[in-house]
Amino acid sequence: MGTVITIDVFPPAAGADDAGADDAWTADLQRRLARARSVLEYADEVFSTWRTDSPVSRLRRGEITAAAAPADMAEVISACTAARQLSDGWFDPWAMPGGFDPTGYVKGWAAQRALAAFDGLAMSGALVNAAGDIASVGAQPSGAPFRIGIADPDNPRRLAEIVQLTGCIATSGTYERGSHLIDPRSGQPAARVASASVIGPDLGLADALATAVAVAGEAGLALVEPLAGYEAFVIGSGGRRLWTSQFPFAPATTGN
Amino acid sequence: MKRAPIVIAGTVAGLFAVLEFHTSPAKLAIPGGAALPATAGGTGITGGTGTASGTGTASQPAASPSQSSPSSAGAGSAVRTATGPRVNYSFGVLSVRITVSGGKVTRVGLAYLNDDSDPRSQSIDQQSIPILEQEALQAQSASIQGVSGASYTSAGFTQSLQSALHSLGM
Repeated sequence: MGTVITIDVFPPAAGADDAGADDAWTADLQRRLARARSVLEYADEVFSTWRTDSPVSRLRRGEITAAAAPADMAEVISACTAARQLSDGWFDPWAMPGGFDPTGYVKGWAAQRALAAFDGLAMSGALVNAAGDIASVGAQPSGAPFRIGIADPDNPRRLAEIVQLTGCIATSGTYERGSHLIDPRSGQPAARVASASVIGPDLGLADALATAVAVAGEAGLALVEPLAGYEAFVIGSGGRRLWTSQFPFAPATTGN
Repeated sequence: MKRAPIVIAGTVAGLFAVLEFHTSPAKLAIPGGAALPATAGGTGITGGTGTASGTGTASQPAASPSQSSPSSAGAGSAVRTATGPRVNYSFGVLSVRITVSGGKVTRVGLAYLNDDSDPRSQSIDQQSIPILEQEALQAQSASIQGVSGASYTSAGFTQSLQSALHSLGM
């Protein structure tokens, strides 16, 4: 697959008590970046279905049990079980071709763990962007919340919306790896909306819910509405837009 | 404005591949040969089937084969480069160039880009061209710090990248 991760760290605002972006800060940053990288590499080693000998691949082939896999496998399985329940089965990694495939959760899970490498660093905020699944902490140096665009599924060079992000956002849609959006009820590839975005505090769960809503369609919004802290937004195949009641669209003004 | 070095880690064959890092709001320029914030959504890459996932650019890649050029750089470390085939992607044609040192990918860049929708991009110098959707979108709106969704590029980019890697035995 080859997902590329982008990490943005925003130094403390000028005039803040924290030290500015000097050499000591940069050295600390580099150490944390190395830690973030190893978190992501570890996730790749364990959970990549493209690696034939990864624990997840061996699990899929029935060569090992979950108990024999690294401890994080149990955590991911547990989280996927919870996500399947919360999504009323619309997110179901066990219904994937070839067996249990937690990719729709793991990408977000790993990105958020990578973001944790920057805890304690003097900064106004940071973003980890894993192919459009974004985990964030803090805000822009001005104090304004992060502004994140949601791509227009019908026009790749345009934004459909801009949101004010606190926490994480994941987007799933027909224009992506379409073959991974399997309808657990039919076993067939399916996506009932062009694009589904979920915002919330946990990127792994947001990732799973975005997948669920993309497959379930507009009815998927009803799954997210009752979840405290989670909001969703969908763009239907005809361009129709629907959202949960507190989806954080950015105000219409430009700039911060 | 402080600019951190671009860091690239690991292989590109797995779930997570290349890290790009900024300390300032993401620059639109892509320093020559540095990591591209590509998002890879293609499937079947390991088998070389490189699907085009509904982007509407299902044509066959151009016939130019991967080329690899071994070179050496100091202290006994072998540095090798390879160029992948030209492939169609959402906006035109591109080919990927990679540099491998000590078994790790150290640079990913473009050997070729032709994007008909933007006349400026007809040159091989990609220094100031936002070539990927995320960068293009961020270029339109300097007041955003990221884009969620949309990985149109990826089938073509990953095809060329994978071929380049394969030619280096990775």
